[in-house]
Formats: sequence, C-alpha cells, structure tokens
Amino acid sequence: MTNRLRVLRAERAWSQADLAQRLQVSRQTVNAIETGKYDPSLPLAFAIAQLFGQPIEAIFSPNGGSQA
Amino acid sequence: MECSPNRYSRRSLLLVLICAALAILVGFARREGLIPPSLRWAAALLPVVPMVGYFIGLSQWLKTMDELQRLIQLEALFIQFGVTAIAVMAYGLLAKFEVVPNTGIGDSWHWWWMVLFFSWSFGQLLVRRKYR
Repeated sequence: MTNRLRVLRAERAWSQADLAQRLQVSRQTVNAIETGKYDPSLPLAFAIAQLFGQPIEAIFSPNGGSQA
Repeated sequence: MECSPNRYSRRSLLLVLICAALAILVGFARREGLIPPSLRWAAALLPVVPMVGYFIGLSQWLKTMDELQRLIQLEALFIQFGVTAIAVMAYGLLAKFEVVPNTGIGDSWHWWWMVLFFSWSFGQLLVRRKYR
C-alpha cells in the first residue's frame, strides 16, 4: 500500500512528532507508515483521513494503484 | 502517544531488584538453616511475588502502546518463544545424550530466565530495526 501522508503532512508544515501527537501514536509509527513499512489498521486509517479531511482512498491506495 | 517507557522501565527494574534481593535473602536463610520446615514453601516462593507485579506492569505498559508498538512486541515475543523453545529442546536432547550436564530445573531456572530476557531484547532490537 502506498500513501500520501508525507505530502499531506508537509503541506501543513507538521513534523512527524506533530502528526504523531495529533493521531495519538508514536513518531516511529508515523515514520513507518510514511515509508510504507507498516500499513495502519482501519481505525487509524480513518483517524488519518478525518484529520486531513479527506476520504481514505484519497490518502491510501493499493500498490501500483493510482493515487488521488 | 507517549508510551512512557521510562516509568514502566523504572518500575520493572525495581521489581527485578526486589526479586533478586529476596532470592539472595531466602537463599542465605536456607543455607543457614533459618527457615522452619513449615515455612519452607512460603520462603521459596517469596521472590516470585515481585515477578507477578513485574508481569502486571508489562501488561499495563502494553495497553499504553499504539498498534505498531504492540506489533513490535508481538514479533519480539515470537522470537523469544522460538529461541527459548529451540534452546530448551536442544539442551534437553544434549543432556539426554549425556553431552552436557543433566541439570534439574531447580538448578537451571535462572539460566532459562536469562535466555528469555536476552532473546526478548534481541527480538525487540531486530524488529525495531525492521520498522525504523
């Protein structure tokens, strides 16, 4: 799965620590999601989507899939 | 999310130290014949009490973790289980074939604790690198 988390975070000038605090996860978790080493659970994916005000499919897409 | 590992690490370390101190204390009392036979079982199990607190603390620490940290712990525990199970089996078979001393659990339990601790630490190190 690929995601636009890093781009969305950069648009808001948030650090990984800022995003981690907003999502109530560790900075390592944010980094692992951004680098594609870890795919978040559905509740965390919903929390991310809600935080950025976008649908999940606009942030996450399957490997090789087009991103919104 | 702050997993506050320091708080739990400090408490865990304190409980392990209490356990070690009690083990030394009851070991000394046993050697000196200070423990009446009727209290032998209670004295023997005294160092186990802080370890109960240790594991309760571990489960509380786990609840403060986010999903990735829990996954890391799960994978680390799987490595610990695998290493310990293979080590126990290998040592048991070697002892059966009289290649190594056939020590009873009463004489070797602390070594198996070491295997558990170091394999868990090694597992965490390995898994954390994977998600870095």
